[in-house]
Amino acid sequence: MIAIIDYNSGNVASLANALKKLGYDFVITADKNTIKKANKIIFPGQGRAGQAMKQLKKAGLIDILKNNSVPFLGICLGMQLLAEYSAEDKTVGLKIIPGQVKKFSDNIKIPQIGWNKVKLTKKSPLTKNISNLSCFYFVHSYYLETDKKFVLGETDYSITYPTIINKGNFYATQFHPEKSGEVGLQLLSNFCKLC
Amino acid sequence: MLIIPAIDIINGKCVRLTRGDFTLVKKYNNDPVKIAKQFTTTGATRLHLIDLDGARCGKPINFATIKNIRKNTSAILEVGGGIRNFQNAKKYLDLGIDKIILGTSAIGNFQLLKKIIKNYGIQRIIISLDIKNEKINTNGWQNNTKINYLSVAKKLKQLDIKEIICTDISRDGTLTKPNLEPIKKLQTIGFKVIISGGVSNITTIKNLQTKKFYGCIIGKGLYENKIDLTDVIKLTHIKNNLTKRIIPCLDVKNGRVVKGTKFKKLLDAGDPAELGKKYAKAGADELVFLDISATLENRKTLAGLVAEVAKNIFIPFTVGGGVKSIRDINILLKAGADRVAINSAGVLNPELIRQAAKKFGSQCIVVAIDAKKIDNKYYVYINSGKTKTNLPVLGWARRVEKMGAGEILLTAIDRDGTKAGFANDLLRQITATVNIPVIASGGGGKIIDFKKALEFGRADAVLAASVFHYNKISIDKLKKYLIKNKFNSRT
Repeated sequence: MIAIIDYNSGNVASLANALKKLGYDFVITADKNTIKKANKIIFPGQGRAGQAMKQLKKAGLIDILKNNSVPFLGICLGMQLLAEYSAEDKTVGLKIIPGQVKKFSDNIKIPQIGWNKVKLTKKSPLTKNISNLSCFYFVHSYYLETDKKFVLGETDYSITYPTIINKGNFYATQFHPEKSGEVGLQLLSNFCKLC
Repeated sequence: MLIIPAIDIINGKCVRLTRGDFTLVKKYNNDPVKIAKQFTTTGATRLHLIDLDGARCGKPINFATIKNIRKNTSAILEVGGGIRNFQNAKKYLDLGIDKIILGTSAIGNFQLLKKIIKNYGIQRIIISLDIKNEKINTNGWQNNTKINYLSVAKKLKQLDIKEIICTDISRDGTLTKPNLEPIKKLQTIGFKVIISGGVSNITTIKNLQTKKFYGCIIGKGLYENKIDLTDVIKLTHIKNNLTKRIIPCLDVKNGRVVKGTKFKKLLDAGDPAELGKKYAKAGADELVFLDISATLENRKTLAGLVAEVAKNIFIPFTVGGGVKSIRDINILLKAGADRVAINSAGVLNPELIRQAAKKFGSQCIVVAIDAKKIDNKYYVYINSGKTKTNLPVLGWARRVEKMGAGEILLTAIDRDGTKAGFANDLLRQITATVNIPVIASGGGGKIIDFKKALEFGRADAVLAASVFHYNKISIDKLKKYLIKNKFNSRT
């Protein structure tokens, strides 16, 4: 069973629709025991970092997210919260991935809304059968800066920044795979097949 | 870094001065329109146009030349020289000049500045500070004042001015290095500072780029072939692979997709779920679903129908029509919408936009604006185009941005369903004024219309209905055409 973490930070209907389409069982939950029993965790997120961390604390989910050992997929804000620190609301993150979340510089439209290319920089089961430079759907104003060794894919928007990352059982994408058409479903399906 | 080639105009001709001295004029006997086109073709995205006669006389003199440049290029234009009252500012801004540059007038007349900001917004103004030994110079550099530039800068900051052009007069046109001290100080205060004067070779530009300055103006170096614009553009190019979105729109009434002309004469165009699936498969970058009867008949959008469409498409899905409350938005999001468009209810109760953006995030809130031209001015219409309001479109667009809208869906009612092309003049006004993405809607008929809306209207996305419903244009073909014309497009 896949646990989609529901911590009152954004809409999970699209993600649920995508998993249904792929034929995987899932549960939308904030219950610790359910999450503990899950064999995969998807950690979505929209909105602001400060508020999201508050919600996670309130739900008592910080430790369980940090210490889990099953395949884990952070999406969008769910990727940024894995960092040590976010400039958005000066927020201390989950510290799962070394790195900082910064705001795009003002020489480009913020937020970035739309489809942008992802250059695959490292092979991974998560990006199996996905062509290099495929377009994915993004909506964000901040980006995660981390060590190259954790980066599976990167994107150009004013700067070149990581958009797919991996450290151990933790994976994350800055874009929304559930909104990225066929190629997004492929990535989600790859994740669901990870053991 | 932003590179802005300068075109200084005297008597309809392209010239350069040295150290702002009108006796040291060098003519580059070229047609400014031709030069502007050349710069744009080479890849310049913004041009710096100065009416030097205007600067000297205190009123626009080369307006016709500048108008001609506007007509012939799609680049962002910043224009300065002789803009010292509201009437002249308005003349340029209404023409579709993206930004006006104010110098002398701004320093002596904060009331004028406030009036322009109130009518056109902060994005349309650049303040030019001409500095000589830390003191401000005015009137086409002919008067040296005793005012320290930093004291002026602090006042400008209070007005929320964003962009400043900083010219060190002792360096301008001398082909020496710029003086970076004042620029650094202005940056620290929080301005986007455009460096002018002394940017004369590629080494200097490289140096400025490394130090992460916002932008610079290049002039003489360019005309005297000390700088190759192609090289500079290549070096300073701001990376951006974001694609322009193509969005089919489903206008839904009584459970069926319909399409009319100018919001009237509705004809059946198919089943929403089927069409949604078809477009997602065809490569649409987003789908918009508007329940067009909702506001009129005062009923809620059918959440079930939305869910039916959402179930089968895995691209962004925006839903609007009859959205009146936070509760309505919640219902649509739960049904599978990714974003919700607010229209009439936002006009009647602007607080809804603020609350919705706060609760769901700006990325979730699209504000739909239906616009119609009356006596040469665009006004906001509500209730599916049935009711005129007194809101000028430009002011309303700025207001919704301020309240947290994440995007504007701009429909020109007079173009709707006519296939006569998008209202690019209106689009340009909006995209020059707000900093959030804008979807162009209404009038897409020929494939070239879409290109024009992106190029001249500077839209971030284009939306159309009839041409897609009746297979007049295929999404695939449109995208290939855009790529051929050097736009980023997702295939």
